[in-house]
Amino acid sequence: MSDRSQLISTGKPFQFDKERDAEFERLIKRYPTRESMILPALWLIQEQEGWISQEAMAYAADRIGTFASKVYEAATFYTMYNLHPMGKNHICVCRTLSCWLRGKQEIVDYLKNEIGIQPGQISDDGKFSLEEVECLGHCGSAPVVQVNGEFHENMDVDKLKSLLATLK
Amino acid sequence: MADKIKLFVNGVEVEVEAGKNLIDAVGAVGIEIPHLCYHPALGADGNCRMCLVGIEDGRPPLVPACKTPAQEGMKVLLDAEHIKKIQHDVMEFELINHPTDCPVCDQAGECKLQDYYMSYDHAKSRMNVPQVVKGKKMDFGAGVVHDQERCVVCGRCVRFCRQITKTGELGIINRTDDARVNIFPGRPLANRYAINVVDLCPVGAMTSKDFRFKQRVWFLKKAPGICHGCSKGCNITIDHNREKYKDDIIYRFRPRLNEQVNGYFMCDEGRLSYKKENEGRLTEARLGTKVRPIDDVLAACSKEMEQAAKIAILLSPNCSLEQMVTVQALAEKIGAALSGYSEGYIKTGDGDDYLIQDDKSANRAGLNLLGIDSSKEGFEKAVQEASLLLNFNNDLTLSYQENELTKLLKDTKIVAVAAAANQCTAMADMAIPVASFSEYAGTLINCDNILQHFAKAITKNEDLADICTIAARLGSPLQNDNERYSVLQKCISALKEFGVDQIPAEGLNLKKSEAANVTA
Amino acid sequence: MEVKILSANFDTKDAHKIKVAKKHGAYSTLDKLFSMKPEDVTDLVKNSGLRGRGGAGFPAGVKWSFLPKNTGKPVYLTVNSDESEPATFKDRYILVKDPHMMIEGIIICSYAIGCHDAYIYIRGEYTTQVKALQAAIDEAYAAGYLGAKVAGHDFKLDVTVHRGAGAYVCGEETALLESIEGKKGQPRSKPPFPAVAGLYGCPTIINNVQTIASLPFILKNGADAYKVHGTEKSPGTHLFGISGHVEKPGMYELPLGLPLLEVIDKMAGGVWKGRKLKGVIPGGSSTPVLLPEEAKTVTLDYESMAAHKTMFGSGGIVVLDETVDMVKLVKNLIDFYHHESCGQCTPCREGLGWMLKIVKKILASDGTIDDVNLLRELCDNIEMKTVCVLSAACTMPVRSYLDKFRHEFEAYVATNDSLAAEAK
Repeated sequence: MSDRSQLISTGKPFQFDKERDAEFERLIKRYPTRESMILPALWLIQEQEGWISQEAMAYAADRIGTFASKVYEAATFYTMYNLHPMGKNHICVCRTLSCWLRGKQEIVDYLKNEIGIQPGQISDDGKFSLEEVECLGHCGSAPVVQVNGEFHENMDVDKLKSLLATLK
Repeated sequence: MADKIKLFVNGVEVEVEAGKNLIDAVGAVGIEIPHLCYHPALGADGNCRMCLVGIEDGRPPLVPACKTPAQEGMKVLLDAEHIKKIQHDVMEFELINHPTDCPVCDQAGECKLQDYYMSYDHAKSRMNVPQVVKGKKMDFGAGVVHDQERCVVCGRCVRFCRQITKTGELGIINRTDDARVNIFPGRPLANRYAINVVDLCPVGAMTSKDFRFKQRVWFLKKAPGICHGCSKGCNITIDHNREKYKDDIIYRFRPRLNEQVNGYFMCDEGRLSYKKENEGRLTEARLGTKVRPIDDVLAACSKEMEQAAKIAILLSPNCSLEQMVTVQALAEKIGAALSGYSEGYIKTGDGDDYLIQDDKSANRAGLNLLGIDSSKEGFEKAVQEASLLLNFNNDLTLSYQENELTKLLKDTKIVAVAAAANQCTAMADMAIPVASFSEYAGTLINCDNILQHFAKAITKNEDLADICTIAARLGSPLQNDNERYSVLQKCISALKEFGVDQIPAEGLNLKKSEAANVTA
Repeated sequence: MEVKILSANFDTKDAHKIKVAKKHGAYSTLDKLFSMKPEDVTDLVKNSGLRGRGGAGFPAGVKWSFLPKNTGKPVYLTVNSDESEPATFKDRYILVKDPHMMIEGIIICSYAIGCHDAYIYIRGEYTTQVKALQAAIDEAYAAGYLGAKVAGHDFKLDVTVHRGAGAYVCGEETALLESIEGKKGQPRSKPPFPAVAGLYGCPTIINNVQTIASLPFILKNGADAYKVHGTEKSPGTHLFGISGHVEKPGMYELPLGLPLLEVIDKMAGGVWKGRKLKGVIPGGSSTPVLLPEEAKTVTLDYESMAAHKTMFGSGGIVVLDETVDMVKLVKNLIDFYHHESCGQCTPCREGLGWMLKIVKKILASDGTIDDVNLLRELCDNIEMKTVCVLSAACTMPVRSYLDKFRHEFEAYVATNDSLAAEAK
């Protein structure tokens, strides 16, 4: 893990769109405390914007009625929350044990070369971002790559080539 | 009295209070269990792991003392080799990413990490890989400056802001060894107790902007005192030092534990009120516009008092009970009208439901108990009838606008007996400097009717007389401390059984004592 | 070898849809369930010997019986679907292929323990799976199996999916509770145990997906039918995941007690590419590694694993072939656990990062024999000094590699020595 404390400010106020607003209200009834909505609210923000800005975090805190510091804690603790904009295609390569044993490094190296970025970076055109992540729970079909949330199992360079071709 | 139980520490039987955790229970009988994250006011968190102790025949055999209630017959192991090894190991982990620059750290001398290193680790560092880099000198607001690298992530500061002030400005963000304390951007510390996190911080991570790097703490002398910032009477430690060729200066106030008054904490305003003890003081006696020896001014004042047909005397609600009875006796003797009018000391709505009170005076309950009239009408009537006003340290500018005050006192000669130089002393015909509360001993009654005694903390190079002495020299029949205290014992029945040195350190709750019967 | 109890419908087309699932018996136990007393359901599960399939192997029915009675507080069930132990991927199959089996299990457990609000905690990485699960829950609501009156009976049950967001430690049951409460997933000190003071301070049962999904079979067929499979102390079946260097990695449902190597050979096609076996991780990355000769005698059950000084864990078997560099593997392991340390307890927070830097130093041929010894010593100094077992999940396996493959670490150090000699 690296330091995730630097938040990005958009300079614009955030609010949920209609759909997320309704989902927030639906979910909040399911929990006996409002603070339970911290994780779901951060997911809703990420769904809506693709990432979570400082303003969005403050919005979540105020909407829930909790301290911004608590939302900040959660957003930086849970590594799937994106604290900066991601590429249009966000590629996660699992780097943990079984994927490592079955050649995840070839996958990463190929992607680095092909897209021209290091893990943790976004391509200049904003089309791709690459991340090495911890276990994705697909060890039986390793190595695994997750693109925009979709799993691609038993990956090798050939499959990756054709996958990349479908990504715009 | 709390129930007692017996347990064993390192095989030795000790009797401790029931219902406490092991740290507090055995700590009360002088056995220290090292700990960083636990604080009695904030509860047990259990993250530092420094308080792990062995429990013989226990399941589990290793427990955090902060989370473990003391139980009858428990066999606690502190000096067993495996426990000493844990303490050593935990210290090693605390230190691997901690800067080892104690000589330039502001906390040096009062740092738990430093103390524990000496007691429990004392080994050469085996850290030969790069340390984790974190933030330095971060302004958290409210006068608190944070050094992330020195932080041991015990979370005391975070818990303070969540549990005590309920403002929640701080959080521990990230995880693993990247975990660090921070504020949410744009939402800095904004509570009136924030600097308590500096005291709470066991290491040098939280520093007070006001105090940091002003003084090495081992030079500071510590004296107990009572804050006079409001009617709560928070117990404080007055940290002061007389540097070579200089005067004794106060560097900070820190809260001092008193369970029945302020607990472990105090407000920032009170904490920073030490500055008024150092600065803006009235230091010279003055007759008209001329500086004169104090004896000359006192003589002139006595003469005025003899000649005046009618005298009004005004007391400050900050005066100690001793000062009040001495002045009260003077007033009775010379037939002066005595007032404690001090409406301006009350800032309605400023107080909270914790420590801060609306009433910014330390002893209004004392005024009331002694039956001293504090009404505006009473004061104004007395002034209008009098040709001379003796003002004992009451800052009238708090109660009146300047033009009102000038109008009210236009035909009255004023003698200001004051600790601070202000508009009141400026407009006085005579001014007599007196000691402020850190420079004399006295007794106060706080807003909850708790009577507390405090000793003289500071002796200046040129020590000023306190109000008692001045009033005595102006003719009060109460000439010494014994006489004054006897009067207090007559007024306050709860004091009868105590000598002045015997007043309990935590104070006397007059509400609880049977009759605080007012005899005035 | 395979016994398909949980995976009976995994190959059935559209078994995740309620219509198909019902055809295969989903929700058929509910009439029986509501005709029983809740305590009898608990007894039945106790008798079946079903052990928690999350990793610790604690008997499920016994866990339920720890709930205090009549506290006046609600009782919560949380289903642990965090499944984050590397090499573990079994619950995912249930969530996607037969979710109604688990929902039925939730109803059974909830009825037994008196829970009316159940939460399923699913790891954030399961992006497509969470959608599948939510769809199944929506179907169950629409069909009246969840909601105000479960299957028409006077029993209210709401099931809410709570999504994690990338934190291995949330698989620890109290960290999971913290996460549902909106906090960082930092494990709580125990006692109190969740059964007494769990979610929102209320009595709470936390069971793994597979444990919960085993309940319909037990209720339908009885405790004895479940005990037929497996060993006396480890009855039933388990969804074993086999990954790493084998020809046919995947998920296989097997009774407990089978010989490990036989399973690797017969089910997973043996070590891949005709290579030799170097070691086996028997139950997820946190379990100590077995040498080939140790692997020969071990069987897949809690007792045999313990006798071999390792653990059954989550049943995630990882096969290591002769090409594996154990120092690099250790680096990979420490990297993971360091990344996932919640940052709460000093030894884990600071110690795992230190271990990682030391192993990197060794790998860079910059280490000394002291570094190897220090790494080994730190395992002891960190382990079991913390609130939870995450640190032990790192130090236990790392110690096993250091002890069983020490020569590989020494070889890196030797390169350092020869480089140093050259420099002179």
